[in-house]
Amino acid sequence: MKFKDYYAALGVNRDADLDQIKKAYRKLARQHHPDMSKESGAEARFKDAAEAYATLKDPEKRAAYDQLGMRPPGEDFAPPPEWRHDQGAEGQMFEDMDLADLLAALGKGRGGGQRTPMPMAGRDFETSVQISLEDAHRGAQLNLELGDKPGDRTLHVTVPPGVVAGQKLRLRGKGGKGRNGGADGDIYLHINLAPHKVFRADRHDLYFDLALSPSEAALGAEVEVPTLDAPVLLTVPPLTRAGRKLRLRARGLADGHGGRGNLYGVVVIDVPGVLTEEERKLYQSLADVSKFNPRNTSTRETAHESATV
Amino acid sequence: MNPQPFEWTFLDSRETFSLMELSQVSGLSAAELDELMDYGALVPLAAEQKPNLFSAEWVIPLRKAGRLRQDFDLDLFSVAIVLGYVNRIDALERQLCSLQSRLPDDLARGVSG
Repeated sequence: MKFKDYYAALGVNRDADLDQIKKAYRKLARQHHPDMSKESGAEARFKDAAEAYATLKDPEKRAAYDQLGMRPPGEDFAPPPEWRHDQGAEGQMFEDMDLADLLAALGKGRGGGQRTPMPMAGRDFETSVQISLEDAHRGAQLNLELGDKPGDRTLHVTVPPGVVAGQKLRLRGKGGKGRNGGADGDIYLHINLAPHKVFRADRHDLYFDLALSPSEAALGAEVEVPTLDAPVLLTVPPLTRAGRKLRLRARGLADGHGGRGNLYGVVVIDVPGVLTEEERKLYQSLADVSKFNPRNTSTRETAHESATV
Repeated sequence: MNPQPFEWTFLDSRETFSLMELSQVSGLSAAELDELMDYGALVPLAAEQKPNLFSAEWVIPLRKAGRLRQDFDLDLFSVAIVLGYVNRIDALERQLCSLQSRLPDDLARGVSG
């Protein structure tokens, strides 16, 4: 078993009182916590400080740790034989435990002279995955890497259809193995959706930019639009303004319960990059006769949604 | 290799958890969860219904708050405050995502950075 200098990890003297230990830990936690720092090695430094604090803040664990005396960090040592009984750990399991495990379990194996091994729950794993819109719609097969190092353990799973961006899922009992009858840990999966080249998702609804020419927007048109399944014809009503949302019912993402969200085309009116001479003349004629002023807000109407496949 | 047919739990309003189940997944004791309810930081689906049931939406925020409690050595009242902020950030992120999806693509990508 490797010795760790917990006092050095917190940067305090061996005779530091609890307030000094707490203050030193909080300062390090504020500096190196993964939510606070993205520097390389910050998480490891935070874990070292947290491990040290977990022992030194507890008088019983601190006293047991102090029994070990001062040793060079990393030195191999054998813990006192009575710890074997105190931890309720016997044989190979005891040999497999590290200093943090032993101190964390200190006292849990005691009580009424009984040496019943203390149940220890397995570790939970919490991980994020990014899947495509198509996989969210149809279900996705994933390989989840579980463990501290790549290749430690891989779980091949299917994510059901109907997940949305930000969805959280739990897989019970598939995390780390429990000890001494403790429950196995769980897996928590956070779903992110990869950006799609056409669609933007809001829960199970999908949005896309429906580009129309000025004449299509003014006169109405039938245009082919993309869906997750296959292109469909959409009827654009006359006098369709920019920003209007045209709805295609139940063409969005599967909701996992037999239904689907809606698909919305958000109207964007575009103009040609270059006009032919004839087009320019026609636009000029239109401009000459038209009294429409898009900057006059009193002539604008409220946009409506339409279901027009 | 075929994927194994595991039963996923959707941690959203479709699922409910008992107080004991919330305690198991969050690392907070039942007494601590009761205290969070006293502070109004944890809200059951129907307060008059006993035993209390909770939306599964509480699982991840409670795990996050419990982890921050341990990491920063916070007292339970601080956890109650943190839990409120965690939920507020989650709600704002959902709202931002929803609004981005309704913007024209060039604007949406500009907003998301």
